[in-house]
Amino acid sequence: MFEKEIRRKAKELLEAKTVDLVIGYTSGSLPFQARPILVSSPEDVGKLVWNHFARSNLARYLLPYRDSSKKIALLAKGCDARAVAVLLQEEQFPRERIHIIGLPCPGVISRRKLEEKLGEIKEEDFSWEENSFLFQGEKWEVRPFLEDTCARCRYPNPPLYDELIGEEKEPWRDGSVDYLKELDNQSREERWQFFAAELSRCIRCYACRNACPLCYCKECFAESDSPRWVNGVPTLSDNLFFHLGRSMHLAGRCVECGACERACPEEIKIGLLPLKVEEIVRENFSFEAGLSLEEEAPLLTYKESDPGEFIK
Amino acid sequence: MKNDWEPKIVAFLCHWCSYAGADLAGISRIQYPPNIRVIRVPCSGAVNPLYILKALREGADGVLVSGCHPGDCHYLSGNYFARRKFFVLHQLLQWLGIEENRVQFSWVSASEGQKFSQVVEETVEKVKKLGPAQKLVKEFTFHV
Repeated sequence: MFEKEIRRKAKELLEAKTVDLVIGYTSGSLPFQARPILVSSPEDVGKLVWNHFARSNLARYLLPYRDSSKKIALLAKGCDARAVAVLLQEEQFPRERIHIIGLPCPGVISRRKLEEKLGEIKEEDFSWEENSFLFQGEKWEVRPFLEDTCARCRYPNPPLYDELIGEEKEPWRDGSVDYLKELDNQSREERWQFFAAELSRCIRCYACRNACPLCYCKECFAESDSPRWVNGVPTLSDNLFFHLGRSMHLAGRCVECGACERACPEEIKIGLLPLKVEEIVRENFSFEAGLSLEEEAPLLTYKESDPGEFIK
Repeated sequence: MKNDWEPKIVAFLCHWCSYAGADLAGISRIQYPPNIRVIRVPCSGAVNPLYILKALREGADGVLVSGCHPGDCHYLSGNYFARRKFFVLHQLLQWLGIEENRVQFSWVSASEGQKFSQVVEETVEKVKKLGPAQKLVKEFTFHV
């Protein structure tokens, strides 16, 4: 799966000093997991891997270098590249210090789904292809094992890159967002019950915020002392406040990567709120984040014809 | 719910139009229900969605946000930006299961004292129908 090409490219860039740092994935300490790695020397490029377990959004790891002078190469799946595009547009990083190596994404596989369907699994029982895998000699399609966010992904190909490794892929799905549809079909009270049950499990560890490539405020409203918006104790009302506030802050910015959902230790479907906001923005202001560097963010602009029937 | 329950409604009024409209209603001795608690803001565009959530969290039964009519903003475009923001918030809250009329919006100009009183009457009536707010209200208070 293009691992060799990625390593070769990283080595070439580091040796030529085109970049000082390559941000990519390496094997995690647990099986079926890849974790982010920062490679700064050409000898270490062997540590880079590229597989179905690239869970985190690497754009998150750019921002610590905002005020340095380092040039950075970033391996970017569709959603990582979209997040980078939003960061560039918001002037959080200079374009000339970043080299985007685009990787059409084969989809991230959920370890939980593997275990649910295959029982006990060991890494050595698998051999991986792009769209399928062999498990104990038996062939399986990748698709039913994809993370929820990846199963509904519309942009596996990076919209922005300096070079592309691999071939452009067809999206897994063409824009249908099933969980949202399911919830849309429920009554308002049912939805409330669903979210109340889900979010009362939230322990407000802020892992979702920390995994989000676009939640980059130095001081988050959730931890601000003055004004104090919410208390530290994870009560339902404050959990709702935090997630509603976060969703509003992501309005017109969320790139639907699902990093928040995957980071959640309680496996709460916290991605649904930002996703709904994204849908509202898409349907009413015909805008999708991270696809172009020119188009203005929807909440930073307006039209006289915007919907206004809800105002008396 | 007690029969003598009266809703508390936090009203964010923009300095240039709705606040002046409320003032005019007062000067003209136009009656309107006393359920609103007015907070004057520089512009409806200055109303952070978090303010609205915070008002509900602190126990307001309803929130009213009112600003200048489109095209009449003292800062030219503040209310247009506000409209987009509130639209998203309004849709999101409804989807989440918060009652539609918990949070209401209106445009009231400085010369519309009469309209202001009508808006408040309607707002209060709709919130009364909903009963006391429960969904986003904080569970307990810390005494520091």
